[in-house]
Amino acid sequence: MKGSLIGVVIMREWKTRVLKRSFLLSTLLTPLLGVGFIALTVMLTKGTESRHLVLVEDAPGLITRMDQASGQWVPRCPGCFPEREMLAYRFVREAPSDSIWQADGYSALVEFDEAVLQNHAGYLVYEKSPGMQAKRNVERDLSRAMEHARVLGDTELDWEAYQRLKFDLNLVDRESGQAGRQEGGGEEVRGLVGFMFSAVLFIILAVYGGLIMRSVVEEKANRVVEVLISAVRPEELLLGKVIGTGAVALTQLLSWSVLSTLSFTLFQFVFDSGILSASAAPATGEIPADLMTVMAENEFTSILLDINWGLMAATTIAFFTGGYLLYGSLYAVVGSSVQSEQQGQGMVFPIIMPLMFAYVIGAGAMENPEMASLVWLSWFPLTSPVIMLLRVAVGAPIWEVLLSWLVLMITARLVLWVAGRAYRHGVLAGDSQTGWKLLLQWVRGHGQ
Amino acid sequence: MATALSIHRLCKSFGQQQVLDGVSFDVPKGCILGLLGPNGAGKSTLIRSIMGIVEPDSGSIELHGSPWDRQAVRGIGYLPEERGLYKDMTVGEQAVYFARLKGMSRADAIASLKQWFERLEVDGWWTRKVSDISKGMAQKIQFICTIVHGPELLILDEPLSGFDPINARRIIDVVRSQAEAGTTILLSTHDMPSVERLCDEVVLLDRGRVILSGGADTLRETGWSGQQEVVFRGNDLAFTNALGAMAHLDSIGPDVVEGTRRAHIRLREGQQPGALLGALGPAVEVLEFIKVRPTMESLFIEAVEGAAAATSTAP
Repeated sequence: MKGSLIGVVIMREWKTRVLKRSFLLSTLLTPLLGVGFIALTVMLTKGTESRHLVLVEDAPGLITRMDQASGQWVPRCPGCFPEREMLAYRFVREAPSDSIWQADGYSALVEFDEAVLQNHAGYLVYEKSPGMQAKRNVERDLSRAMEHARVLGDTELDWEAYQRLKFDLNLVDRESGQAGRQEGGGEEVRGLVGFMFSAVLFIILAVYGGLIMRSVVEEKANRVVEVLISAVRPEELLLGKVIGTGAVALTQLLSWSVLSTLSFTLFQFVFDSGILSASAAPATGEIPADLMTVMAENEFTSILLDINWGLMAATTIAFFTGGYLLYGSLYAVVGSSVQSEQQGQGMVFPIIMPLMFAYVIGAGAMENPEMASLVWLSWFPLTSPVIMLLRVAVGAPIWEVLLSWLVLMITARLVLWVAGRAYRHGVLAGDSQTGWKLLLQWVRGHGQ
Repeated sequence: MATALSIHRLCKSFGQQQVLDGVSFDVPKGCILGLLGPNGAGKSTLIRSIMGIVEPDSGSIELHGSPWDRQAVRGIGYLPEERGLYKDMTVGEQAVYFARLKGMSRADAIASLKQWFERLEVDGWWTRKVSDISKGMAQKIQFICTIVHGPELLILDEPLSGFDPINARRIIDVVRSQAEAGTTILLSTHDMPSVERLCDEVVLLDRGRVILSGGADTLRETGWSGQQEVVFRGNDLAFTNALGAMAHLDSIGPDVVEGTRRAHIRLREGQQPGALLGALGPAVEVLEFIKVRPTMESLFIEAVEGAAAATSTAP
């Protein structure tokens, strides 16, 4: 009977919110907008880069020579300008006026003089910026061409010999642990990913906590509560409300996961089939790159490929459950102790402060999530929901994650018990009864 | 007689304020008991104690002969004075919700609710949101939610507030029919005419104490202090002379039928109605000789003022 009554409360809380038009819209539109944003980024990147034809004015004649056969200026180091799908060059000794080269279809002009070898300075002239990616590629290609000119001009080495001698050290990360050495690295990106998940969890805890508070205030205001607690114990009602509203949040999270996966898969299918390539860019005869390749080339979308979505989703749901029971109970108690939502907003700030603190600390420390203070905060139940996600992203030991979660769940259960005592008194308190002092009295069991 | 509800020496205080001070009474099974008292007498606290919403400091409550138990409380139909509905739910869905909280299955709840909706003429409102219905309609829905699970004990706190006279009569009829079907009813109200019409027993609370209790008829009988109403044909002077020292004349005037007079008198202490009637007979033609029992309202006022006077003169 007890269980079924809590079930009835849970069902009402879940059903009345999930069937709301605003919930359905946000649940359906958010993943579509998210995938749409990624799609737009990919399409814009691809679309813009395919049009870059850069004119290089080599006035001092450092990097080009005349090709007698074609009668055109060509690079002295052809290998310095690798063929790219999105970028091509033409070389001249003297560029025409801006209006002429722009009319000829060039998107940018590169200018430099003899001093370039000393001051490393050149100019990129354009009417509309070709974008960071194109600029970086032009800088890289021209740097190599200049390097080629200096090696041949200032040393007695030939280019091939220089290439053999040139040395770039690449440090590959290996994490040493009890299980031996494992591949590591990419902390910055993974830290950023962890922070993104932490931020989402922080927002969900705050938003859905607020929803519980509103729901309790509403039941007090519309005077339903007296009938409710004559049928259900206040502690059961509180539990039902917290679980019911939490189930709404989980429904939204799961719906977002499923819909995002489906939308992304659909986009990938459409993209890889070439339908979008054909319409977005003129046919060049080149084999179009697949979605994963295009995403990997883009700074933003490449981060998305680095995420271990399964692990992060499971950890998010686990820490959401504990965090939500903990913070949701506190929000409910605040709701029970006030007469209006406005009053509640004022009282909720001290409660949400640890979570905000964790969020701010997490934002500042995302490049080094394993620093000592963050490790401690990931164990502390009021901050662990946010901080532990950050650490999981960079590979926190699984036993630490489980133990932290266990501590969180035990604390949440204790808080729920204490909250039940305060809630019992709070929901029946009169209009003039509000405030922290009273709340503490209720926790101690004094009141109506 | 078996009791549905027994209250024994119930005490409750909030801080320094003693709200219930040793309240005791029984509610026999199948009886309608009127719980009366001025504002702040402790009626709502008493009801909340019965419902387990407020925990008494001392004393005990028995339900159907057994010690108070939350499971038994869930069977009670409770209509609180401060009541409401969820504004964003449909009428039908929230009626089902409240019925399910009382332990009914969804199917049983819907079947029973449909019958009650039809009986109280709200069957067209099932799919409407509460925000779209009138206050009176909402009151009816709340009343239905209270009785839908067929409780053996009904506690109604001001059930008629917010109803127009027609719907109030409808609710009174339902309450009466529930009592006839064996339901025990505790009715807390300030509406004295409905107490007179409905209640078998009355308990009057004042400042947390029971100051008057008993059968409604018995109380009115014992509260009678010699008032009589006489309709006669004859001379006023002859009538007054016939009263002599036996009764005091309060008022006299013409009655509805032409040539008849209506008088209100009060028998003096020790005088009997029969003797007075014998004395009036030779003087005037007595058409009606009615014993006027006190109203619940006058008993209520008298008892509360008496208790207040006793408290103020107490050392």
